[in-house]
Amino acid sequence: MLNHIWLALLVIGILTAAGRDIHDASINAYGNGMPWTLHSPAFDNASAGTRISSDVTIPARELRRHFPGEHFDNDLMLPAELSFQSASEASVTFTLSEESPERLRVMAESAGDETTLRARLARTANGWRADFDAVSLVYLRKITNAAFDMAGTAVTIALGLIGIMALWLGIMRVAEAAGLITVLARAVRPLMSRLFPDVPSDHPAVGAMVMNISANMLGLGNAATPFGLKAMEELNKLNSKSGVATDSMVTFLALNTSCVTLIPATAIAIRAASGSSDPAAIIGTTFLASLTATICAVLLSRLLSKVRAFRWERQEAL
Amino acid sequence: MEVFRTIVSVLSALAVPAIMLFFLVYGAMRKVKVYEVAVEGAKEGFDIAVRIIPYLVLMLVSIAVFRASGAMDVFITLLRPLTDLVGIPADALPMAIMRPLSGSGSLGVMTEIMQTHGTDSFIGVLVSTMYGSTETTFYVIAVYFGAVGIRNTRHALPTGLLADFISFLAAVLFVRVLFGG
Repeated sequence: MLNHIWLALLVIGILTAAGRDIHDASINAYGNGMPWTLHSPAFDNASAGTRISSDVTIPARELRRHFPGEHFDNDLMLPAELSFQSASEASVTFTLSEESPERLRVMAESAGDETTLRARLARTANGWRADFDAVSLVYLRKITNAAFDMAGTAVTIALGLIGIMALWLGIMRVAEAAGLITVLARAVRPLMSRLFPDVPSDHPAVGAMVMNISANMLGLGNAATPFGLKAMEELNKLNSKSGVATDSMVTFLALNTSCVTLIPATAIAIRAASGSSDPAAIIGTTFLASLTATICAVLLSRLLSKVRAFRWERQEAL
Repeated sequence: MEVFRTIVSVLSALAVPAIMLFFLVYGAMRKVKVYEVAVEGAKEGFDIAVRIIPYLVLMLVSIAVFRASGAMDVFITLLRPLTDLVGIPADALPMAIMRPLSGSGSLGVMTEIMQTHGTDSFIGVLVSTMYGSTETTFYVIAVYFGAVGIRNTRHALPTGLLADFISFLAAVLFVRVLFGG
């Protein structure tokens, strides 16, 4: 299942990107090879060597002509730096913002920097004309960059876990050596032995799972992951087929991804930062939604383990 | 509700220091050589983090390609009839699709939707509830199974995704009941 979805995400991504690029090329979505007519008060001072900061106006008519399929009602005024090589030739650097038209920002991005867009200017009989570099295969380039960037980011994320993992696994080892984890496991035996029938009720995995679930409920993501990974290691010691997930592992994972949440810490922080009058208002709805999901997740993990393709007996060790 | 809120916020602030104190002091009382034993346990942290790398790289790259291609928009169009049927508002749909795939992506989607619709609007409360009530399923699967070298994940992904879907439906239901709209 994971194999197919993983592949599907990649294939759908690449095909969509290719499809969009073909579509963009077929309608010439970026007006490649079509000069632009622009206006600016700075054009009145055109002389060799002049450098000037000024607003440059792109008429709505020009935007409509170059960007087919987009709607523009108003002329666009952009701050720009102009540098005149002669009275009839100049280069211009536009500064774009979040509000600038999408296609202009894509043009800037494909030239390297999404906030600056460069063009060559020339005086003609009908006013000043601008030529931009041609833009093509935007999405294919974008997914290539995204793939390389994310490969690096993934390593950063994993390495970032080292410190927090070391801290909690150290503390956890002390609790284990003191017999505390076993005590904890015994305390929740009635519930855990029902959820994880394959795990002996005094097994260290139970203690780690309880710690993980409690940390998750309190919104302590940093502490939850080390406990969770510790629990997975312990569960894996009970695994007779290496490389294959056991029923208990899947149930544990289901509990984790849909975990009952008492404090959605990140969501509350973002709400507060976005100017909510009551950031914590979501505590009640989050608790109820996650409780519903958790109950269903446990039932689903039981149910789906009976599906032919997922059955334990049908899996081979890797 | 207010009391409940105070209790949980105190609990969350207290939890980490309390656990550290309790575990270590209990260990010392049981004659555990706390520092020596803790260091021994901490060594594992490095191994586990490094073991996760290949799983995380491949999972996140596939998701990054999907996101960067803009296939999300296509997906939203395709899923729209289905989600309209079960009552997930169209404005919250990007959140429902992004949430299981990417933590940072869904954080961005949440912020953007709250900016457009208002933090305390029905949609604003709904998307933040959706964000808060589930984890990033693909990430959890990559990290947790990666740590123990599990490649055949059996029914973990369908279980996680179905649970996410149920969680979104429940979020719509409870936000509607408690906040109207």
